[in-house]
Amino acid sequence: MTPMLTRDELAVALGQAGDGNRAAFKTVYDATSAKLMGVCLRILSDRQLAEDVLQDTYLTVWRKASTFDPSRASPITWLVTIARNRSIDRLRSGAPMRRTSPVEDAHDLADAAPLASDVIETTDEASRLNACLDTLEDKVRGVIRTAFMDGVTYDALATRENVPLGTMKSWIRRGLLRLRSCLES
Amino acid sequence: MTDIPPEDDANALAGELALRVLSPEEERAARARQASDPAFAAEVETWNEHLAGFIAEIPSVQPSARVWPRVEASISPAANDNRAGFWRMWALGSTGLLAASLVAVAVLVARPAPAPIVQTAPAGGVTRVATISMTEGGAPVVALAYDTVTGNLFIAPTKAMDTTSAVPHLWLVKPDGAGVQLIGAIDGSAASHHQLRDALASTAGQAVAVAISMEAPGHEPAADKPDGPVVATGELQAL
Repeated sequence: MTPMLTRDELAVALGQAGDGNRAAFKTVYDATSAKLMGVCLRILSDRQLAEDVLQDTYLTVWRKASTFDPSRASPITWLVTIARNRSIDRLRSGAPMRRTSPVEDAHDLADAAPLASDVIETTDEASRLNACLDTLEDKVRGVIRTAFMDGVTYDALATRENVPLGTMKSWIRRGLLRLRSCLES
Repeated sequence: MTDIPPEDDANALAGELALRVLSPEEERAARARQASDPAFAAEVETWNEHLAGFIAEIPSVQPSARVWPRVEASISPAANDNRAGFWRMWALGSTGLLAASLVAVAVLVARPAPAPIVQTAPAGGVTRVATISMTEGGAPVVALAYDTVTGNLFIAPTKAMDTTSAVPHLWLVKPDGAGVQLIGAIDGSAASHHQLRDALASTAGQAVAVAISMEAPGHEPAADKPDGPVVATGELQAL
């Protein structure tokens, strides 16, 4: 099942995996694969595809674990960033069938029961981000959130929101800069 | 956006890259900057941390039990000794082959390349070089020079490779353990010239090493993983 690890324990296991420790790597997998699967599935909306990308993600994690620096990144962020980027790369590689139905359908197919690993140290980041997102206009907050969750480009966002591309870029760039100053204040 | 001060531009671009909203062309340019500009790369990492707050909203989904055995198989000692372990070794350290590389380039320059190619090659300068040596025994087998301006890649075997049962394929080893990128099959017996374009040219400009795998005749491996044994490697050095 899914053991719960603290941020520090996860960082240690990831570091050991970077030294070639397979048992530690399995610990990382057990603690994080459900979260990363959620990220892949959210973006790809296809369970089979998401599992392929998940496999690829952990292969990358194994190869890159030695470059993980706990003083610069939190382990779960580092892992999710790889999973999300891999999923987006796959989404944009041309092949996949992007389903137009709501992503919730895909989750219905899966066991979406909350897991202990949800507890992994994302709550601080989440509350800070949410506090700062609340300072943005509704529409700007909405498109930044959609961009992260669905992994879509400016072009796709402009089409979805039915606004000119330049307008969408302006919303997001201004929103990002405001977020940044809020998050670092 | 003319209404955003220039000093905020890099910051916003780093955020756009982390968010992945850029067009493919813009993203390529931003990735190149990320690879060459540590301050910008740090900005991108900071953005990844900031945006990670969204993760809490994404429900976890248990992957099927099929996934771990496939992951485990791909990192098994057998696969690892041949591939991942090798790339890991390259990601962790290097062996300082600059002197050998310089000698090799002298050899390469002295060796006439096919005339038409040289005459039509755009102006530029050779800026990255490598000597590729056998992992067993360390004998140099290929001298390589890459011009980051024009994308011209020159490959000169220093001795004929045994290609009777397998075809040598050239790989770029990306920085930070980011894996490998296939350039393609190479001629193991004569000097050759390749023109790298677009993403491949950019990857070649940033790669830390090159390597040669031996692939079964007629088989083209995936672009990010050799199937045959890696027999030779060399560190890429800036001139």
